[in-house]
Amino acid sequence: MMESKNERIGFVCAYAPVALMDAAGFVPYRVLPMGNWPDQAGRLLHDNLCPHVKLVLDRAMQDDMPDLSGMVFVNSCDAMRRMADAWRRVRPRDRLAMIDLPVTRSTASVSFFSGELSRLRDTLSEWAERTITEEDINESIQRYNKLAGLLQALGERFRQGSDEEGGAKLQALYNQAVTEPILQTLEGLEEMNRTEVQTGTDGHKVPVLLMGNVMPDPEAFSLLESCGVRIVEEDLCTGSRMFHPMEVNEDGNVLLDLARGILSRPVCARTFDPDRPGGMAEDIAARARACGAQGVIAHTAKFCDPYLARMPSLREALREAGLPLLVLEGDCTLRSIGQHRTRIQAFVEMLR
Amino acid sequence: MMQQYFTDLVNGIETSLKEAPERVSPRKRYALEIARLGTRLYSGDNRVAWCGVAAPFDVLNAMGVTSCFVEFIGAMLASTGAIGPMLEEAEHAGYASDTCGYHRSVIGAARKGLMPVPDFLIATTCPCSGGLATIENLSRFFQKDLFVLQIPQDDSDKNVQYLAEQIKDMVAFVEDHTGETLDPERLGRAIENTNRAREIMEDAYRFARTVPSPANGRDLSNFGVVMALFLGTEAAVEVAEAYLEAYREKVREGTAGVAGERTRLMWIQNRIQFKQPLVQMLEEEYKTSVVIDELNDITWDPIDPDDPFTGLARRAISIPLNGDVDRRVRHLKKLAGDYRIHGAINPCHWGCRQGTGARGLIQEGLKEIGVPVLNMEVDCVDSRNFAEGQLKTRLQAFLEMVQSQTSPWN
Repeated sequence: MMESKNERIGFVCAYAPVALMDAAGFVPYRVLPMGNWPDQAGRLLHDNLCPHVKLVLDRAMQDDMPDLSGMVFVNSCDAMRRMADAWRRVRPRDRLAMIDLPVTRSTASVSFFSGELSRLRDTLSEWAERTITEEDINESIQRYNKLAGLLQALGERFRQGSDEEGGAKLQALYNQAVTEPILQTLEGLEEMNRTEVQTGTDGHKVPVLLMGNVMPDPEAFSLLESCGVRIVEEDLCTGSRMFHPMEVNEDGNVLLDLARGILSRPVCARTFDPDRPGGMAEDIAARARACGAQGVIAHTAKFCDPYLARMPSLREALREAGLPLLVLEGDCTLRSIGQHRTRIQAFVEMLR
Repeated sequence: MMQQYFTDLVNGIETSLKEAPERVSPRKRYALEIARLGTRLYSGDNRVAWCGVAAPFDVLNAMGVTSCFVEFIGAMLASTGAIGPMLEEAEHAGYASDTCGYHRSVIGAARKGLMPVPDFLIATTCPCSGGLATIENLSRFFQKDLFVLQIPQDDSDKNVQYLAEQIKDMVAFVEDHTGETLDPERLGRAIENTNRAREIMEDAYRFARTVPSPANGRDLSNFGVVMALFLGTEAAVEVAEAYLEAYREKVREGTAGVAGERTRLMWIQNRIQFKQPLVQMLEEEYKTSVVIDELNDITWDPIDPDDPFTGLARRAISIPLNGDVDRRVRHLKKLAGDYRIHGAINPCHWGCRQGTGARGLIQEGLKEIGVPVLNMEVDCVDSRNFAEGQLKTRLQAFLEMVQSQTSPWN
């Protein structure tokens, strides 16, 4: 394994190829939209722009993050693109890399994306002043596969258990996994997996599938759980969507495998299959049915076009599946989720 | 409703063309082509494709497909005052009111049966995530096949080749849906027309830079983006020629588009599509002309007829709204210098994350060359919240400030 220098590379989008950063010996550090800074980003961008992006930019403007050896941006949506633009302006001395991200998973898209990853590998090699080999990447993918497996196992244990704070604890682990050195995280997760969690489900809580984009604050999960929600499955870009095991062909092109692996994860609304337009809606309905959810809570950042545009079809698909949907729009702060408490409680009452 | 509107428009303009051809302005010639496109879209007799803004319309025209970017319909609905019920329809169906009004109105029109059912759809990832999502939603709504063109962010050879291959795949997709193969001769003629129109438009724009400009604030509104729909056809050449001739004549005569032109402005991104008095007020009260719109520029080289797909790919990537904002600001600065503008108006279309999201960065960029920017807060298609009085006051204050300053070009 390449020696880790514990220098951090920042990233924001869940599609960022963390395995490449790790392979270069860096610690991937996700700049999460947390903190309570005055809104300055709106001045550079627009108030009517994704609060995820604005909060992250506010952190950048306040220097509320550890020293970074560089930032990796992914061209996943309009807001992410604009954030990269603004980042250049507010932190001109930071080294930045931007990779393009296809919206489909076709063979051509995977091939194009592997080219983007190759470009990023070269940049990271330059930043790390060392060559990143296929073996380095392969080993890193294996580490992240192990991390994904451990998080998945822990997630299942928490979801099946009666721990009142299970969702919050799991989210804290996800946050750790995207900000701390992977070996340290793996060690902690292995230890946790050896310990007991409270078993036996709380029959009073209503099982729901929680989906959407950005919800990193563990307290937000506590709030949901305190309203009588039991999250039996989750699909968030600050949660399980970051970590999915990917296959590596021993004799193949590892960057192609990485590209395919990243594009094959459960999708953010910005990625879709042209042969199944709006198919995300049916996929969520199927997952909700499979996990025994009685309803779905969709939490999206305000002004997030990819999600907002797909909500009507999601509602339609869930209606056909007989599953109620609660849509919560927020600004990524706990305060905004707290304002939805009454609606969440009413939703739970309806499902009981 | 729309078919009748476009048919009446065609008949009206054709009549005036016959009665007094010498008095027909280039804008009217342009409007005639828009009306003709509208009749083709709504007649039910043609193959129709709803597309993203960056689709290669010349190729689709060569394949006999009446194609159009969906935002065109949003603009038409706004300009005819028919957009309100469409927006309400979409909002009632759950489309958030703080998303782009162009896209919401199109969804509403589709749900009300006012969008022709397409034969297929072609989405483009540029210029925006919202437009892409709208095409995906329309594909789902109409249950029609969808093709996606992924427009890369810069014109590296690898990126150009990637897009060129996608355009070839798009041709195969269209052939599968029409049952007709692309005739190389027709494509060749289309590329020839595109290159001719390109050259003439470039000449017309060059005349528009003259001080005083032969263009008034309305001549060229929406021109560059809509002309893309006619590329590949003789009509594009004729419309471009009409502008070139009119501007050449005006420059020769020394006739200004706005009599007594005192101030020259640039309009960033979208015009306000519904009827409103702002541009007229600029002209009449402040002798101010909008001489250049951001999208009225030729950002691409002539297309090689022997290798058309590479040139088409380069053109799509070159759209000013594609890529990072530094590239966009460089383009705006170039236009500012070419047209010797004194200020710029950015309407900050509500719901546009792609364009409006760069509001502050654009303002800072143009400030570096001494060009002040007025950021307005307006929905360019939804007149329901149009604050006419406030906007007039802001424009007046801006103009007074601009006119009291020394020109950055002196």
